[in-house]
Amino acid sequence: MEILHVYRWDLDKTYLRTDFDTLRGLLRAAREKASAKVNVAGSRALVRELQARPGARVSIISGSPRQMRRTLEEKFRLDGVEIDELVLKPNVENLVRGRFRAIRDQVGYKLPALLEGRSRVPARASETLFGDDAEADAFVYSIYADLVEQRLSTAQLAQILEQCSVYEDDAERALDLASTLQKGPPIERIFIHLDGYTPPARFQAYGRRVVPIYNYFQAAVLLLLDGHIGPKSLVRLSVELSQGYGYSLVSLANSFQDLVRRGLARAEDVTAIRLAFEANVALFDKLRPATEVIQTFVERLKMVSGLKLSAEREQRPIDYLAIIGQEGPPNTWRHRRRKRVEAPRRKGPPF
Amino acid sequence: MPPPTIAFDAMGGEFAPTEIVRGAARLSLESDLDIILVGDAPKLSALLGETRHNAERIAVHHAPRSDSPTASLPSTSLFEAASLVAEGRADALVTAGDTGALLHACLRTMRLLPGVEKAALAAVYPTELRRGAKDDPFSLILDVGANHEATGEDLLTFALMGTTYARVISRNPVPRVALLSSGAGAEWEHPAILEAEAEIRRLPDVEYLGLTEGHLIPKGSADVIVTSGIVGAVATRMLEGVTQTVLDLARYAYQERLSWRLGLTMVAGFLRQLKRLTDWEEYGGAPLLGFDKVVIRADRRSHARAITNAGKVAAKAVAHQIPRAIAERLAPPEPQLVAEG
Repeated sequence: MEILHVYRWDLDKTYLRTDFDTLRGLLRAAREKASAKVNVAGSRALVRELQARPGARVSIISGSPRQMRRTLEEKFRLDGVEIDELVLKPNVENLVRGRFRAIRDQVGYKLPALLEGRSRVPARASETLFGDDAEADAFVYSIYADLVEQRLSTAQLAQILEQCSVYEDDAERALDLASTLQKGPPIERIFIHLDGYTPPARFQAYGRRVVPIYNYFQAAVLLLLDGHIGPKSLVRLSVELSQGYGYSLVSLANSFQDLVRRGLARAEDVTAIRLAFEANVALFDKLRPATEVIQTFVERLKMVSGLKLSAEREQRPIDYLAIIGQEGPPNTWRHRRRKRVEAPRRKGPPF
Repeated sequence: MPPPTIAFDAMGGEFAPTEIVRGAARLSLESDLDIILVGDAPKLSALLGETRHNAERIAVHHAPRSDSPTASLPSTSLFEAASLVAEGRADALVTAGDTGALLHACLRTMRLLPGVEKAALAAVYPTELRRGAKDDPFSLILDVGANHEATGEDLLTFALMGTTYARVISRNPVPRVALLSSGAGAEWEHPAILEAEAEIRRLPDVEYLGLTEGHLIPKGSADVIVTSGIVGAVATRMLEGVTQTVLDLARYAYQERLSWRLGLTMVAGFLRQLKRLTDWEEYGGAPLLGFDKVVIRADRRSHARAITNAGKVAAKAVAHQIPRAIAERLAPPEPQLVAEG
């Protein structure tokens, strides 16, 4: 069957709950068995629903080392998820060649990997991307989206790669792939899972395409509204979140209110959720009656009724060099993010 | 049992709404409480967008009007928040808003418990002595500003409410109670204090210490200090001011001379301890007692940390069902049936 839509996922902190902020966490992730790996709440259910769509292709591009392929494939098998493509990072090769910067670098690895992946699908295939806020997913994905849509020239790309201190061979590879890229349809959405609770406003520079989400219920609601998944899929995902991860009705309703407040959904869209739950009573009724679900959602929505909050309609051009100028090169972002979260030290008297 | 829902009046306080949003945002990351921020929704949404928070635990409730000391009107954030609690859509109210407006809003939306004529605003004050099973390092002082005056009966009710709070929250089975007095001798005392003293003395499960003076509060011999609103408000403000002045002087000296700086560096540990113990933001907020719902008032100058802690105090009060415990304490004893014959 022809590939109509590609769902590209990052792995750590997007699909799997991995701690790579500490050396201990990194070592644990490398050693742990497939059965010990834990999913980000709802990721497994969402991938399952997406891959069931006719013409869908699920591709995973991860910064995990290639040596983990077997464990990860086993994990997907245990999850009942069929992955069409799994791209892993040549970390050992980078170490052997003394390319230490490449171990942390995301742009030099992920961008060529994304472009290569794109060359393997028909030009008219549309895409939805999933990443997280731990590193530079929003940045890399946005560059990729602009290249696919031919909003970014290779000259501009060369400048960005230089500012990102990407190794020369990686930059050349990215530029080669970009120059042969055929124009494709717009990348519909770039979902960024807020694993570290990065404030959503920090992603404003990337425009409307980048959608920060607190959980996969929020992604599922938007995918339902976009027509990617059906009502049953939304209910199944809600059941998994509720049964498997302890999500309450209130937390789901709050998540929807958050989408409305950010202008990503409209209050009227609650109708789609209502219809989904009413049509699939048997699925969710085991946990809570559908009427109770709707009542909770409607009550939380009434709290912000009458507000006109709208998001941008058009994707505006992204000034990548300005982002680098403001935030520094992407390979320093993880460190900066951790420093931001930690309390700043105050100067002055020690009391 | 679902976690309690705490309604925050997001527009009340000197640093509202920024610090209230930050405090609630921090609480959303540190606890599993359900949080409702009540106030100007577009403003609150914009602030939340710039703040690390867990959106699964926060909802915004739009209240278009901002607060003012006189406006306890419908559609102000404080009134809306109080209504949410009164209607049972939230379990507790936290505000750093004006005391008068808070009292008006609560009186219009909630019910005073049977036996309560006047609600009392409590404050916690850090002390040398620790108390209860949890070693709490503070005394409870009430009333600190909800009422101008109090009768002897009111003071007795305050003592009953205060001791119930100490018994439940600090797990202090026999709280020690004192009445704040001028120290001028019984013949000069206010009749209400003398009237209350006679009644409190007779209370079971309470150790009455007698009349106490302002300078004895920091020693902490009493767990609950009962007073009328104005006196309580002046006393607590003054006590807070003394510590702040000591620290301000130390900071000034630190900047002035190298020898003073060296000396102060040597006692920095002690000064930090003093600051920590007397830091009102650490305690977050104190309860407004006497209503059928949990109401926590944070100081008007509250920053994010105080608001976070006030939310935690509110959750604790909900978990321990403080209004119910007070209602039970105030209920008249049931008549005992005596067998005939």
